[in-house]
Amino acid sequence: MTTSTLVLAGTRTNERLGAVLVAAFLGLGLVFMAGFAPAMALHNAAHDFRHTQNFPCH
Amino acid sequence: MIIRLVSAALVAGFLAAVVASGLQFALTSPLIIAAERYETQASTTAPHFASLVVRVHGGHDHGTKDPAVNGGEVAPEWQPGPGLPRMAFTALATLVGGVGYALLLGAVLLACGREPTPETGLRFAIAGFLAVALAPALGLPPELPGMEAAPLAERQFWWVMTAAATAMGLYLIALRRSTIAIAGGLVLLVAPHLAGAPETSHAASALPAGYAAQFAARSLGIAFVFWAVIGLAYGWAWTLFGRKATAHA
Repeated sequence: MTTSTLVLAGTRTNERLGAVLVAAFLGLGLVFMAGFAPAMALHNAAHDFRHTQNFPCH
Repeated sequence: MIIRLVSAALVAGFLAAVVASGLQFALTSPLIIAAERYETQASTTAPHFASLVVRVHGGHDHGTKDPAVNGGEVAPEWQPGPGLPRMAFTALATLVGGVGYALLLGAVLLACGREPTPETGLRFAIAGFLAVALAPALGLPPELPGMEAAPLAERQFWWVMTAAATAMGLYLIALRRSTIAIAGGLVLLVAPHLAGAPETSHAASALPAGYAAQFAARSLGIAFVFWAVIGLAYGWAWTLFGRKATAHA
C-alpha cells in the first residue's frame, strides 16, 4: 500500500516536472522569437508588437 | 498533463492575442506610424546622420524610408508591406508572444503547485505583468521608433535581468512569506533599479512629447489587458480541458 502510493506520487511528480520543463522551454522560445530574436526579418515582422509590449527594439 | 497545459496555453494565447491585437491597432499602431513619419522627416533633412544611423542599426528601416538613404548598396531587408500585411504580422507576433507567455504562466502555476483557475490565473498573470511590463518600463519607458536610446544589447540585458529579479522577488514575497524571504524579495525588486537602467536619451527630437507620453501609457494599459486575458483564459481553459478529460475517462 505504502509502496504503491509512493510510486504513484513519484510518477506524478516526474510528470509534473516534465510538463513544467517542456512548457517553460517552449514558452521562453516563443517569447524570445517574438520579442528578442535579432534576425532582421523577424524583427521587422514583430516590430509593432515589440514596441507596444516594451521589448527593447533597435 | 503537458497536453492539457499546452492546449490551455494555446487557447489563452489566442484569446489574448485577439484582444491585444485589436487594442494595438486602435491605440498604438497609429502612434508608431506617426512617429515613423517624424523619423523619416529627420532622416531626409539630415542625410549624412541618417545613413550613419542606418548602418549602426544593421540596415534597419521602417518601410517608410527612401531606399536611397540606405546608400543603395545594401539590399533592403524583408519587411511586411504597409497596411494589411503589417497588421497581419503584428497580430501573428502578438499570437506567438501570447502563447509564449501563457506557456510560462502555466509552467509557473504548475511549478508552484497551484491549481489553475481563472482566479489563480489572474493573480499570477498580474505578477507576470508586474515582472515583464511594469518593472522594466520603470527603467526603460516604452519607446516610439526614432527615440534614440542606449545600445540594444545593454537594454535587452537589463530588461531580462529586471524581469527575472522582479519575478523571483514577487515569488519570495507572495508565496514564501517568511521574514527573510520577504526581505530578500524586496532586495530583488529594488536592485535592478538601484543598479540603474541603460540611460534614456535626453536628446531633442522632432517627435511631439505628447505622442511619446500617450504611447507609454497606452502600451502599459495594453500589456495589462493582455496579461489579464491570458491569466483568466488559461485558468478557464485548463478547467475546461480537465472536465473533458474526466468525462472521457
